[in-house]
Amino acid sequence: MPPAALPLRPAAQPAALLVPVVLFAAAALPPLAPLLQASLPLHVLVQFPLLVAAGFGAGRTAARRRGPCDVAEAIAALLLAIGCLAFWMLPRWLDAAVLDARVDALKAASLALLCGLPGGWCWGVLPAVARGVLWANGVSMAVVMGWLYLNAPERLCTTYLLDEQAVLGEGMLILGAGLALWGIVAALRGPQPGSS
Amino acid sequence: MPADAPGREGPTPFARRILAAYIAVTALVLVLMMVLGVLMRLAQSEWLALDPALFYQSMTIHGVGMVGIAAVGGAAVMWYFLSHHVRLDARILLANLVLFLAGTVAILAAAFLGGFAGAWTFLFPLPASSGGAWESGAAATFLLGLLGIGVGFLLLFLDVARALIRDRGGLARALGWPQLFAGSIEPAPPPTVVASAMVTIVNIPALVAGAAIIVISLVNLIVPEFGVDALFAKNMTYFFGHTFVNATMYMTVIAVYEILPRHTGRPWKVNRVFLAAWTASTAMVLLVYPHHLMMDFVMPAWALAIGQVVSYLNGFPVLLVTGLGTLAIVHRSGIRWSATTTLMFIGMFGWMAGVIPAILDATIVVNRVMHNTMWVPGHFHFYMLLGLVPMLVAFMYHFTGLERGAPEGGAAPDRWAIGVFLFAGLGFVVTFLQSGRDGVPRRWAQHLPEWLLQDRIAAALSLLVLAAGAVMLLRVLRGALRGGAAWSAEA
Repeated sequence: MPPAALPLRPAAQPAALLVPVVLFAAAALPPLAPLLQASLPLHVLVQFPLLVAAGFGAGRTAARRRGPCDVAEAIAALLLAIGCLAFWMLPRWLDAAVLDARVDALKAASLALLCGLPGGWCWGVLPAVARGVLWANGVSMAVVMGWLYLNAPERLCTTYLLDEQAVLGEGMLILGAGLALWGIVAALRGPQPGSS
Repeated sequence: MPADAPGREGPTPFARRILAAYIAVTALVLVLMMVLGVLMRLAQSEWLALDPALFYQSMTIHGVGMVGIAAVGGAAVMWYFLSHHVRLDARILLANLVLFLAGTVAILAAAFLGGFAGAWTFLFPLPASSGGAWESGAAATFLLGLLGIGVGFLLLFLDVARALIRDRGGLARALGWPQLFAGSIEPAPPPTVVASAMVTIVNIPALVAGAAIIVISLVNLIVPEFGVDALFAKNMTYFFGHTFVNATMYMTVIAVYEILPRHTGRPWKVNRVFLAAWTASTAMVLLVYPHHLMMDFVMPAWALAIGQVVSYLNGFPVLLVTGLGTLAIVHRSGIRWSATTTLMFIGMFGWMAGVIPAILDATIVVNRVMHNTMWVPGHFHFYMLLGLVPMLVAFMYHFTGLERGAPEGGAAPDRWAIGVFLFAGLGFVVTFLQSGRDGVPRRWAQHLPEWLLQDRIAAALSLLVLAAGAVMLLRVLRGALRGGAAWSAEA
């Protein structure tokens, strides 16, 4: 049986909805979106996380209001989120998002609604080991992706130059190291008061 | 809570059966891997005609098999004793064993059917550049098998981390940092908890790095246009490999902390020195791996310096607190010597003496001469054969209750087997070291006539080690397969 909805302080309700909406608008609309998409590293390492974070925040709010999902739903939601993220990591679709506004809108909506939202809604329900597996996989895949971008024998995206590809590769390696460090520090600290 | 959550009173019957399977698998694989080792020594001494291709396949399997089974045995020790302190999930223990066995099948097929012989370290570019000795499919099968085993251990350590965070308030608390750094007067965590936290902290990043380099190697096998920086690959591989192997000892030594006090009637005291030693080793185990790259002149000098300095320091903190602690709780305790306690002491000796050749080899100027000689197998056989294996066998005796009713000093077969194992084992590792001192290269299937005398001495001694090891391990295997009836009531 899914756990009951967590209470949300009335004063926190507007802010809880406002933050994801503002985040989404900032990441997906001008003037910031074209600036972010002008650079491959900013596109992948800044716009993507902002869109996912917007959806994640909305998902957390939904979990508080409607109650979190159960474990089976959480696994399905996380698979959906991973699939969505993997799809938009393909260079072909990064190009398409830059060149076609409709694809870009689809990207923004899907990263927020199919990746971030289910992730935020169900994250707290996932067993701790499953969360650990996702973290570990995130670290190792960031390293692998970083290597792929650094060592690709040719340009992967037609809309971005080779040197940006290399910067993205380095950024991915730094992301992997940062994720690893964050996980280790969190495990050392243990549960903090008020954390779910 | 999982359906079969063991609580904090030790493993449930379900978990005990899985642990018995761990012990049975460990005993069996140890004997089989020793057989492969003996065959290689017989081949080098020209007493056995072994196709060089088969020699290198056997060397690959011997290496990966010994590393894997040391980890399986160590995990059994850690899980069994830790389950008395935190609630672990036996289903994950089982999943790790299943993944280990599945990975083992893939690795055996890769070597003996596919011909893969790139050594357990699978260093780039060897898996992809066999010179026709094996197809890329064999290398990919080997790497996938290794990946499966790594995923199993990752699950196991994530579950240990989960349990330590939930039941002990985080890994820092499990390491005793409040007592060490903040002057907390709360009771310090038990030694098993401290050691398990350390192993978890070092092994999870190591396994993640291992998974990344294996996936990178697989991509390179399938699409060779994606090149790999050989130095990057070697750093990743040894960060994973060295840390993972090193951690097997830190898991296994938990047996000393838990079993010796039961024989001496004195508790193992955890003080600030003990906590400081384990914290220091946590950091140093993660930093020490560059001592595997001292022959790589393109490595930054500072990294090699770290490798040398940390190698000098790495083993000592835990080694000293454990060695001195062992002497302290045994001295005038009226201990009744048994096969278990004797094996523990041999293990402590092997651990302490076995690091000395490693420290010598970790000196840059020595390493450049000695690293590709038999000196290095001399070190790790000393450390593993006379350090880790006796501790593992002692745990197995304890778990299976083999010593129940045995006279002082142990049953006659055990006394003989332990004596032969110790003296033949010592001779065996000293022969390795002497060969290294004489500059005999390691990893060569065929040796020059000038090296045959040492090879033949080693081969004869290895047969004795195998015989003695088989006596002990096959007794353990029988005890484990008999199941619950033979297990000690206390265990």
